Parts: sequence; C-alpha cells; structure tokens
Amino acid sequence: MERKYLYLDYLTCIGCETCETVCDFIHDGSPHIRIYVTENKQYLPINCKHCDDAPCVRVCPTNAIYRDEDGAVRIAENRCIGCLACLQVCPYGVPFYSLKVRAITKCDMCADRREEGLEPACALMCPAEAIQYGPLEMVLELVNERRAKNIPEHQRELSDEELRESVSSGYVLL
Amino acid sequence: MRGIKFSFLCKEKPPQTGKRVAIVGAGPAGLTAAGYLVCKGHDVDIYDKMPEPGGLMLFVIPEFRIPVERVRLGAKELEEEFEVTYYPKTKVMEGEREDEGDEFYERAVRLSELRENYDAVLIATGIWNVRRIGIPGDDLEGILSPLELLFWIKGAELGYVPKEKVPDLKGKRVGIIGAGLTAVDAAFECNRLGAEVEIFYRRTIREAPAGAYEINILRNRGVKWFELVTPKRVIGENGRVKAIELLRTRLGEPDETGRRRPIPIEGSEFQVELDYLVFAIGMVSTPPVNGSYIATDKRGRIVVDSRHMTSVEGIFAAGDVVNGPTKVGRAIKDGLYAAVSIDRWLRGES
Repeated sequence: MERKYLYLDYLTCIGCETCETVCDFIHDGSPHIRIYVTENKQYLPINCKHCDDAPCVRVCPTNAIYRDEDGAVRIAENRCIGCLACLQVCPYGVPFYSLKVRAITKCDMCADRREEGLEPACALMCPAEAIQYGPLEMVLELVNERRAKNIPEHQRELSDEELRESVSSGYVLL
Repeated sequence: MRGIKFSFLCKEKPPQTGKRVAIVGAGPAGLTAAGYLVCKGHDVDIYDKMPEPGGLMLFVIPEFRIPVERVRLGAKELEEEFEVTYYPKTKVMEGEREDEGDEFYERAVRLSELRENYDAVLIATGIWNVRRIGIPGDDLEGILSPLELLFWIKGAELGYVPKEKVPDLKGKRVGIIGAGLTAVDAAFECNRLGAEVEIFYRRTIREAPAGAYEINILRNRGVKWFELVTPKRVIGENGRVKAIELLRTRLGEPDETGRRRPIPIEGSEFQVELDYLVFAIGMVSTPPVNGSYIATDKRGRIVVDSRHMTSVEGIFAAGDVVNGPTKVGRAIKDGLYAAVSIDRWLRGES
C-alpha cells in the first residue's frame, strides 16, 4: 500500500486550535496534536511527524512501536512496558504516558478511523487547510496549491526541494 | 482544494431518526454541530441571515487565513450528501434589534416558532456587533467598525457588497485602536489596499492579545505600532475625522485579566492626523433575542447549563454567542459538545 503523510504546513496554519479540538473530541479528552504557545504568542500545533527513520521505533526495547502499512508510526499497547525511552528520543516530545491505557500514546494518524475508511480528523477539519493527509505527491501538490493561492507575500517561500524534504522527513522548516 | 469536512465522524448518511433540529447561525459552531447531528441520523435545517453559509469564516476573516472555497465546499457537502437544508437571508429573532449585516435578510422568523416546529434548536449566532468606545467625536464620518470594514472588503470580493461601498484606502492614513486578532486583520487588509496604517494600543506588545508574532509581521510590512497610548477624543473637521488625540499611558498593577492595567498620564496629550479610524476593541454577542425569552448575561451572552441548554427547554446554544469572541477552534469545540448534548436529549438520555 502507498505510504501516506500527515503534514502540517506551519506557513498556512493560523493557530485556530481546531486540530487540537477535534483530536481531543475523538480521543476522549487526550488530544494527540497539541497547541504550544510561544513567548510571542505564536500558536503552534505539534503532532507526530511519523519520521522516516523514526528514533522512537529504533529505541523501543520491546518493538512496541512500529510503522503500519499506511506509514503511520504506531504503538502496540500490549507490548509497551512504559519505559519512556521513546519520549526521551522524540525531537518533538510527542509520545505521552496514558494512565487510562497504561501505555505510551501518540498520534497514529487516526488508526481506528482509517480502518473505517475515514481520514485523520485534524486534516479534514482544519479550516486553513494547513494539515494535509495522503500520498507524498498529493500532499506536495495540495500544499503548493494552498500556498500559491493564499500565502501573503511577507512569508518566505520554500523551494520545491525544501518542501519535499520537509514533508518526507517529517521535519519542519519554520 | 477540499472542503472542511464538518461530518468528519461518519462516511455517509446513516438511517434517519425522524428527529428534526433547527440551527440558527451557519458559522463554525453551527456547521460543526450540523455535521455531528447528521452523522447521528437527525434531520438538520440551518437558518442564517447572510446570503450563504460560513459566518465570520467566510465574510470577515481574510482569505489568506481561511480560503473561501474550503468553507463553501464544506457547507455544500453537508447540503448535497447529508441533505442539510439552508435557509439563507433569514433572520431569526424574538423581539426587535438592528445588527450588522441586517441588509441581507429578506425573511424573519421568530425563535419561538422554531422551537414549536422542531424537536430541538441550536443557537450559534456568534458576535456580529461591535463594542463602542464612548469618547467625544466617535460618531464622526470616517470612523469605521472593524466588522464593517472587513465585511465590506470581503463582501465586495465575494460579490455581495458593491465595490463603491469599500472606502478607497490607497494612500490614506488609517488609525486602528486595539491589538486583538480583529485589529490585526483590519490592519492587514488596510495595508494590502495601500493605506498607511498605524495601530494604537494602551498596553505593550507583550500584553497585546494578537501577540508579538502577528504584530511584528505587520511592522515588517510598514504598519506603525504605537504602544502605551489611549484615545482621549477624535478631532473632526466638517463632520469628518481629521485626527485623534491620544494620551500616553503607563502600566500599573495587574487587573482581572492578569494583564497590567494601563493608567493614562495626565497632560501627555498628543495628536495624530488621520483619514480613517477603526475601533477594534472587541465584538459583542448577538443572540436572536431582545427581551426575556431566553436568559442572557450583562454582556449579552446566552446563559447555558452544562448541557449547553438555555433557559428554554429544547433550545441549546454554542459558540461565540455563549463565550464572547474566541478562536474558530473554540467555536468548533462548543458546536461539537452542544451537538452531543442535543443528540442525547433527543434520545431521552438526559
């Protein structure tokens, strides 16, 4: 199956908090995408980037963290021993320990919804269309289309190569 | 581009419950609630006084923040795939009141009529009135409300407002009082239309609700930023704005908002010449009532219980009309949880 990407384009994000809201709603009050507010009041949603060479997958001693067929980095809760090694190595501080499931929890690109043929809720509901989900070429096309139409000229542009790099590596260029 | 998927919880229309819900207001809270309710099998009708659904997302927030097409496609999907019926240009009101955007409505319906004709009603009418500042000269020609200004600009681009209605701002000096997101959006649009823009704020950039990030973007675009100033009076000439007189302020102890209170410094008056002045100091809830039909608080916001139900059984409320001005995400959250309550109430669970 073709790998899917969940890409958050910080140049088009307006910090409206919709992604966190809908994620919170479908995960019973534990959002897997969270808004962080910088000192200068920039509202930045941080989610799992499902990195190409994900350090959490490499470090997990029980192989509880794995990549599924759509490309999402997921957790097999029954194999998680709560050692928090993944949390230590994640550059975004994404995984968190859930007392409810007694295991590490993180964004799994809405695995339950994908099984029902639905897409990740944050991407569907983002009013600014800053979160894109799909195969790499589709995500690149949509991000470029969105930017071409709506990004004000004061914001710097990324070259195609930089954009491709930022989407496929999971890292963010700000 | 794809539309906002307000019905993100389901793939297709489920079997119908036979229950009918009226939603008043087609902004983010109303449309999200509709998306949830149609996924639960309820029949939804949406009333809005504007010519098409979308609310502030469509008619006020600048295009570079939220694309018009994304909102339009989202609303259209609800209509075509989930059989939501829109009643545009329809003002729902119990009592009488004039609001911004009233020029668009052609039909009026009473809120109590909706309560009689539907199994449940959700009010999500938002904040369509502007707070007035109340200083001498604030009624002069050339004083604009941010809502009018943003609405005229966006409305003209959407083809609903005649182009002549939008002031020619090219080369004009525009002053903006306030430093919230509305003030910032007004400044962006005036700057884009060629005006020389100056923002006046009574605290410092550290306390500005819009934040230093947005304000610094504006400053990089040539917008001037004056902090620690408060308006004293507007000076006119032949009934039109000529200048604003400002007082310098200093910051005192924190007030109820946790921010340091601005204290005017007597004798520090100075004037700035202007062609237009925008008071972007907050927007006010516009419930579809003017009177005692449902309870509202001192600031005009609808009072709801933990189920989002108003003082009238079966009428719920959500979004900015309950909370005052907030972000789109907060309105969406409120719409979702209100819809959960409505669904439970319709099923007799609470």
